[in-house]
Amino acid sequence: MNLSFHQRWELFAYAAFVVAILLLPLVADAFWLNRFAKYLVFGMLGIAVALSWGYAGILNLGQGLFFGVGAYMISMSLKLQSPTSQLPGAQTPIPDFMLWNAEPDAMKDLCCITDGSWLWIPFQYQGFGIAMAVLVPALIAFLIGYAIFRLRVSGVFISIITLALVLLVRLVIIEFQPVTNGFNGLTDLGWLTLGGVEFDPYLVSTYYIVAIGTILVLLLTRLLVAARAGLILQATRDDANRARYLGYNVAAYQVFFFTVSGLIAGIAGMLYVIASEFASPTFLDLAFSVSMVVWAAVGGRSSLLGACIGAILINTVQATASESEMLGEAWKAIVGLMFVLAVLYLPRGLAGLARDLLDRLREQVPTRRGALPTPQRSE
Amino acid sequence: MADIIFIGLSLGSILLLIALGLTIIYGAMGVINMAHGELAMIGAYTAVMAGIHLNLNLILAIPLAFLVTATLGWLIERLVIRRLYSRIMDTLLATWGIALLLQQMIRLSLGLAFFGITIEGMGTGLQSVTLPEAFSQVWRIGDFVLQPYRSFIILVTLGLAGITWLLLYRTAFGIQVRAIMRNPEMAAACGIDVRRVSSITFAYGSGLAGIAGLLLAGLKTVSPDMGASLVVDGFLVVVVGGVGSLVGTIVSAGLLGQINGVVAILSNDILARALVLGLVILVIMWRPGGLFNFKGR
Repeated sequence: MNLSFHQRWELFAYAAFVVAILLLPLVADAFWLNRFAKYLVFGMLGIAVALSWGYAGILNLGQGLFFGVGAYMISMSLKLQSPTSQLPGAQTPIPDFMLWNAEPDAMKDLCCITDGSWLWIPFQYQGFGIAMAVLVPALIAFLIGYAIFRLRVSGVFISIITLALVLLVRLVIIEFQPVTNGFNGLTDLGWLTLGGVEFDPYLVSTYYIVAIGTILVLLLTRLLVAARAGLILQATRDDANRARYLGYNVAAYQVFFFTVSGLIAGIAGMLYVIASEFASPTFLDLAFSVSMVVWAAVGGRSSLLGACIGAILINTVQATASESEMLGEAWKAIVGLMFVLAVLYLPRGLAGLARDLLDRLREQVPTRRGALPTPQRSE
Repeated sequence: MADIIFIGLSLGSILLLIALGLTIIYGAMGVINMAHGELAMIGAYTAVMAGIHLNLNLILAIPLAFLVTATLGWLIERLVIRRLYSRIMDTLLATWGIALLLQQMIRLSLGLAFFGITIEGMGTGLQSVTLPEAFSQVWRIGDFVLQPYRSFIILVTLGLAGITWLLLYRTAFGIQVRAIMRNPEMAAACGIDVRRVSSITFAYGSGLAGIAGLLLAGLKTVSPDMGASLVVDGFLVVVVGGVGSLVGTIVSAGLLGQINGVVAILSNDILARALVLGLVILVIMWRPGGLFNFKGR
């Protein structure tokens, strides 16, 4: 393979990252593994943001919408598998909160115990929940993308629409309390069961489900942006009109990548629930969606791996800091400050910093050894 | 029904003050100021602190709140925004960081909390201001109950909207601001000091937010995270009204405040919010420029 200097280092970075994630269970205990699984999920969110923001130039302030919907879909299935949903004498499993909300003489069956509880019926099959967790966020993303990119809504207006949408869905979830348990979210979930094997969130195998999911998402997305479609996407980001005049259907590419970004966020939501055993409307808070953008910005918005590592790094430090109350409060201030400084001085994030350092290193190495020829620039 | 409309009007007024500041700042500089709600929060805290430490009542604290937040806004523009005019979308992120910083500044009593010092009126808890005596009684006109504090809010807002209009349309400074709104490069080429005008505009918009926060402090409890929802609402008003349009902002603040107020009382809060959000999405889809927008370049 004939790779340029940067490509070789990028390959090395991806390989190192993958190996590090896969080997982590050798050094971490169950508690930290479970935590780290959640951070890997946040890493996936970083990838989703980098894809839509860095590559497509679409600042989506409502990524939490897809994450939240994915999380709720799988949670409905897992809730029905939970021991707290098994009622003696009932035909079907019934979530405990529905029982608390139901009229005393209501029929104890999913079809009619509360208004809209029939929506839960197909979720008795876990496969349905998993399929919905993947498909529904992608479908929503497609519909939103189709509506906004066809109408050529652009720039900050996309951010405002996505922001309004995530808040809207959050309100809907809170409002339909009989179906969604409102503010409290879905808790006391059962474990994911695949082929008769139960995945306790604190098991190494559960960590591997999340880890392999993250690696697959990272690598596939990286291949996707290097493919022809990805290159055209970047062209539409840099100059939508020029791409249009060159004959490309700009909206189609934007819709496609917006959908992929939503799909990734949905999968992340599903994996998060598997590791954390709850889903709540806080997933759709504005602050959470903006946090994702922060992670990607600090890690490097135009680098998928950078954004992923940024998310993992920030969350790891955050978890350590918030163990003491004072540090936790201070940490929030530090995040704010770090963010301002990152935007001001590191617009390409940690990934950009790493690249600059590498470039400097390369300039020095040949002069020290003297004999080596300078590598050909192929960019 | 008249009562409900009146309450909606007073809520719309506060919304209008938030949105006025935002739309001037966004219109003139293209900056999405995510810290705008936090500036309002600082305004509210100024009222609290002025009451505790300076014995100033709410009305007398208005100039103080304006000064404090305008200075803060001026500093933000000077230290951060100014470096980001070449990549304007990044201001959204930087100001979000500033918003976090401002919140923590209040929570940690300006950082003194680390040394075990707490300033009365700050900290993580809830604060409130006592309204002056004159606002406590209720005037009745037939069936209609007139709450004096809410009328005061409406009057202050009307006054400030008037001042803003005069400033923008009847002064040399206003002409410069409007020139920058239409085309900053051309304005600069005509000899307008764009940077100076920008920092003053930013400071003025921040000051309006501060007064909005102060007025809100008389209605609700004051807490460090009260600003977060304000900036979202403010932006919805700006987007619906049309960026940089004074009339549009006033109409859409009235409209959204009214929908929010009326539906919240007739049905429930959540439905009201949902309706407003849905409406805003439709407006952006249908008329991305807002309901009242001049043809920009």
